Amino acid sequence: MNFGKQFKEGLITNNPVLVQVLGMCSTMAITTSFFNGLGMGLSVLVILTASNIVISAMRKVVPDKIRIAMFIVVIAGFVTCVDLLLKAFVPALSESLGVFIPLIVVNCIILGRAEAFSYKNGVLASAVDGICQGIGYTVVLIIMCVIRELLGAGTFGGGLLNNGDGIRLIPEQFPIGMLTFPVGGFLVLGCLIAAMQWALSKSKNKEESK
Amino acid sequence: MSSEVKTKEKVNMDPKYLIKLAVTLCVTCVIVAAALGAVDNVTRGPIAEANRIATEKALSAVFPDVAAPEFPELELTDAMTSAASAAGATLENVYEVKDGGETAGYAVKIIASGSQGNIEMVVGVDAEGAVTGVSIVSNAETSGIGSKVMKNNPLPSGTGVLDQFIGKSAADGTLSVGSNVDAISGATVSSRGVTTGVNGAIAAAGAIG
Repeated sequence: MNFGKQFKEGLITNNPVLVQVLGMCSTMAITTSFFNGLGMGLSVLVILTASNIVISAMRKVVPDKIRIAMFIVVIAGFVTCVDLLLKAFVPALSESLGVFIPLIVVNCIILGRAEAFSYKNGVLASAVDGICQGIGYTVVLIIMCVIRELLGAGTFGGGLLNNGDGIRLIPEQFPIGMLTFPVGGFLVLGCLIAAMQWALSKSKNKEESK
Repeated sequence: MSSEVKTKEKVNMDPKYLIKLAVTLCVTCVIVAAALGAVDNVTRGPIAEANRIATEKALSAVFPDVAAPEFPELELTDAMTSAASAAGATLENVYEVKDGGETAGYAVKIIASGSQGNIEMVVGVDAEGAVTGVSIVSNAETSGIGSKVMKNNPLPSGTGVLDQFIGKSAADGTLSVGSNVDAISGATVSSRGVTTGVNGAIAAAGAIG
């Protein structure tokens, strides 16, 4: 187990959004303000880590044939807990993320990590994997939120700062409203993936030429 | 991927194995359900409290002139529900608004469809049947476009898009965008949604008693 390597994988070389291209639905839908991205990212981080730990702990007693059903039961349990807790203690966030919190159940990052990692690795390694992949997801969401919110609405920190309106950085008539639509999400994500691939191949070339 | 997964494997019909599968799943579900019960126990109170505060805030917002209103909930009658659905909206709750024991009007919680899903709103209607205010409880309108309507942004005339309904009553006829209601430019569907809700609320309030 190597924390540094896992962290690098989650954040860069095997980033859940930019490299594995998982969890697209939530990535498109909620990255319109900084507060949304942070809340969604942290919710997924918590659920992913918790379900990774539990699935890894019970991997020896779960019969192979019904493992997916078991994963879903565990994941759905944690998602419902987080949903109830958000509704109770952070109603504003719960309101703005809406249906996308319950939809974390079918977020393929979580099922994907259960199948690809925690079903085959120890509890501690799985917990670290959950945290690292969760951070990778959160960071990408926040980057997308900041870009889309700044260029699409002209503000920063919407939903959190300045009574929820965000701090206006670009006068109201200039922003490109389209970027706050799903199509804007695809454009921004496409550019980010391209930038990521470019950076990855560049560093790979460097290593090979050494 | 796990190496044990083979294609076209013959299904193992051994009853003992099948029972093992069923029991494992069942036990897991029971444990998860118990855990959820425990969480629900902790969160039920705060959730109810948060909902109550949100509703009360929306209710007070549509009766700004009443200093300390009380909101006893009325039982919905078929007449109220069908009046609202004839206008294209779904009636949720009706609250009587009491100002020191006297009925100041009704606050109607109603749902109409917007451009991205349902818009849940509270419409205040005074005892004479005129709208006293519109307040949005929840919506999923597009940020930056439909949200302008939800946030009561000003129309070109300077009046807030939600405030334009104040004073309208059944005497104005059916409200519709383009004739007697103005829409925020680019957010016609959201503006229409709110208009439908207000029509439903006026009709429902008219059907009370």
